[in-house]
Amino acid sequence: MLLTALVFIPLLGAILLAFFPRDRVSAIRGFALVVSLIPLALVAMLWQQLDFSQPGMQLITQRDWIPSLGISYKLGVDGISFPLIAVSALVLPLSVLASYTITHRVKEFFLWMLVLQTAIYGVFTALDYFLFFIFFEASLVPMYFIIGIWGGPRKEYASLKFFIYTLLGSAIMLVGILALYLGSGLRTFDVLVLAEQANLSPTLQWWIFLAFFAGFAVKVPIFPFHTWLPDAHVEAPTGGSMILAGILLKTGTYGFFRFMLPTFPDAAQAFSPVLAVLGIIGIIYGALAAMAQTDMKKLVAYSSISHMGYVILGVAAMTPMSLNGAMFVNVSHGLISPLLFFVVASVIYDRTHTRMMDQMSGLFTRIPVAASVTAFAAFANLGLPGMAGFPGEFFTFVGSFPVYTTLVILAAALGLVTTAGYHLWMMQRVLMGQPSGESLPDISGRELVVATPLMVCIVLLGILPGIALRLFNEPIAVLAARLGGM
Amino acid sequence: MPVDGSLQLLLPEIILAVAGVIVLTAGLTTRSARVPGVLALLGIIAAGAGVYNRVWGVTAEIWSGTVMVDGFANLFKVIFLVVGALTVLVSMDYVARNGIPAGEFYILILLATVGMMFMAGSLNLLTIYLGLECLSLASYSLAGMLRRSAKSTEASLKYILIGAISSGIVLFGMSLLFGAAGSLHLREIAAAIGTNGAMAPVLVAGMMFLVAGFGVKMAAVPFHMWAPDVYHGSPAPVAAFLITASEAAAFAAALRIFLVGLPALQPEWTTVFIVLAVISMTVGNVTAILQTNMRRMLAYSAVAQAGYIMVGLAVASDRAVSAMLYYLIAYAFMTIGAFAVVILLGRRHPAEEIRDFRGLSQRAPLFALALTIFLLSLIGIPPTAGFFGKFYLIQAAVAADLTWLAVVMMINSIISIPYYWGVVRTMYLAEAEDKEPLPAPAGLRWAAVIGLAGTLVLGLFPDAVVQIVSAVQVAPELFLAAF
Repeated sequence: MLLTALVFIPLLGAILLAFFPRDRVSAIRGFALVVSLIPLALVAMLWQQLDFSQPGMQLITQRDWIPSLGISYKLGVDGISFPLIAVSALVLPLSVLASYTITHRVKEFFLWMLVLQTAIYGVFTALDYFLFFIFFEASLVPMYFIIGIWGGPRKEYASLKFFIYTLLGSAIMLVGILALYLGSGLRTFDVLVLAEQANLSPTLQWWIFLAFFAGFAVKVPIFPFHTWLPDAHVEAPTGGSMILAGILLKTGTYGFFRFMLPTFPDAAQAFSPVLAVLGIIGIIYGALAAMAQTDMKKLVAYSSISHMGYVILGVAAMTPMSLNGAMFVNVSHGLISPLLFFVVASVIYDRTHTRMMDQMSGLFTRIPVAASVTAFAAFANLGLPGMAGFPGEFFTFVGSFPVYTTLVILAAALGLVTTAGYHLWMMQRVLMGQPSGESLPDISGRELVVATPLMVCIVLLGILPGIALRLFNEPIAVLAARLGGM
Repeated sequence: MPVDGSLQLLLPEIILAVAGVIVLTAGLTTRSARVPGVLALLGIIAAGAGVYNRVWGVTAEIWSGTVMVDGFANLFKVIFLVVGALTVLVSMDYVARNGIPAGEFYILILLATVGMMFMAGSLNLLTIYLGLECLSLASYSLAGMLRRSAKSTEASLKYILIGAISSGIVLFGMSLLFGAAGSLHLREIAAAIGTNGAMAPVLVAGMMFLVAGFGVKMAAVPFHMWAPDVYHGSPAPVAAFLITASEAAAFAAALRIFLVGLPALQPEWTTVFIVLAVISMTVGNVTAILQTNMRRMLAYSAVAQAGYIMVGLAVASDRAVSAMLYYLIAYAFMTIGAFAVVILLGRRHPAEEIRDFRGLSQRAPLFALALTIFLLSLIGIPPTAGFFGKFYLIQAAVAADLTWLAVVMMINSIISIPYYWGVVRTMYLAEAEDKEPLPAPAGLRWAAVIGLAGTLVLGLFPDAVVQIVSAVQVAPELFLAAF
């Protein structure tokens, strides 16, 4: 019941919101914010109820839905999905709050935001492939509209590219799901049953693995399927960018943990070197590309590609430590990237009206508090110890080192240095230097309310990474054992 | 067969025909365009009640084997009645606004429906042909109902020419079968073919003529040339009617003829239908991408959809037939629903270009949302009716070792994304020049809501309908025992 409420309350809110008069802007915003806060309360209740010392699925809700095809309405949560749900429950209301600056077609915007929330919670809790796929697709349409209607100057191009890439990827994944259903002969779409019992021929397992890979690789995104991301992130309105980077990318990496690794362990192991190389390319390429940007939002977008590379590397190495690290990066990046997008695309942009680094300087002097938040976010993103960005990368590297020694050294040498480089260079150009132009108002109360919870969590996880590790340690151990890792 | 009491098995058809006469009379005596429409709707509802009360669940062959009442026929009758009712709903405002003579318009719709019901409700070639002619003659006139529009007249003329030729072809094919088998009854034809292998070339020729003739009605490539012009030029409700019901009737008749009458030639017609299916969906989808007019786009999409449905005809297993029936039901809801939105837009923008859909999400938000769902369903994205239609067809194809055909279907669904989604993009992303809201007449609103409900219910809870369609047999027990 709790999970059903979590998933469908935002949708219910969206339906109610449809009846609001179009011009009652503040009522619409307030209602959307309140509705998005309900899942946060539910997540707090979940945290109380779940027992993280056991690895299996908990709070399973199951109802027959389409019995003739073995489709059921099945939701559940475990230590792998819960942290992502928790991050979503934190980031989604904040992104609604960050979107208060939207003035055009306000009602529609918040309506789509609420629909999107249902899709996101659904993706993270669905335990039936059919149900999962519906949510996975359903997350695409609202995001398409959010980018396409409320985006920047190149919104048409960016939204279409985003749509084509992800829809094509998920269409191929749907073929994979159907092949899994028809090939397993179990007549069920149940994720857990298929993971345990599907007896697929090695060839078929390979093909299905690749079909799933197409769907999730686009979402993550893994190099070379990443080119939609810079466009989409840059053109999306701030709230959209926060959700895209903070949560939607994680639906891709979540797919690896929930579906691909447990269901196709053999194919995954055989594929692991390719995955590792793609992960490393993502880390280095993303960092180098970020360094080359003059647009701050684009810099953050490329840094997302780079960070997702760590997750992929950790997944590819398949040791308990590397998998834990990958999960941790999922969580930390889910907190840091929304903060970074928020300060860059909203706080700074709304004041300077530019995102070009060469057009602004001396923000420390002009808007000291906002600039400090920016510096905080940048340091967190580059992986400064004591903040959430550090433990994940550390675990990933340490866990992957025994498996892919050369690659890890390469990534550490090039990736880490470059990552530190572009962040520091960005801060030097934007925050320091001679202040120019008229005086600007400093960060507002609403903006502080958006930034503070994220900052608190980032510091908390940086100092006490155990808070998050405790959640997914057990299921990761089981997963690693299944993969035959060390 | 006893004649007593058999008349009531034709009650739905009789009701419709009588309702037609009443509608015509009403059209001649009142000036209102609404009255005949309402009467037609009541007639269809009465016929539906007749189906429900008298013939649902009955299996009987009456009148010397010329009329067959069985689950297959009854299911199709329900489909035709639903499509007919929805067509009347979307026509209410259209007929009045365009000065179409209401009595004539609605009686033709009702008679076309009667014709289709006979096409599905017989195992006798003669009855099937008569049903086909009844449908065709009514639809030729319907296509030309906009008398002052040159496009409508052109559509009607094209339809008559192509339709007359295709009727001739069908008749010729039937005569060849009759010559070879000595009977017009499909069951007897099947028995005769089984014992007389020497007639094979004549039979294959007859079969090919039938494929071509019905191919025209299904708008399968390469017999589709008339479809874009007719669907574009004829009155919009007529296009909606033809695109769904007429196509479904052609499939109903084809299923009976090929599965019951010509099982001996299955290897031959399977190959033909596979080829037709593949080229229909590919040509339809690729051509649809290039269209700038909404109705032409929907016409080519109909060609592609006919290709998908034909996969079921090619596979021809029990499962495939159920899948086809499911698809036809789903297709009826989503297409008529989509046409309701097109008709709404046509009230202000008679050209019905795709660019006229700009900003529809602002001008008529519910209709824009409904059209989005219909288009997603036409693509085949879950949880819509179109997904399960395709899913069942794919399942049937894979079970019949035609996995490659299933893959072709999936690739085609992906090809279809740009043009369907292009409309959604236009509705939501582009801003309208004319921002005025589009008020919707009640008929259109109801048609869109019913279409939406059908599309979503079939997509979310397919089991109820699956149970009905999988109980249906093309060749019911009654005469299987006679073999």
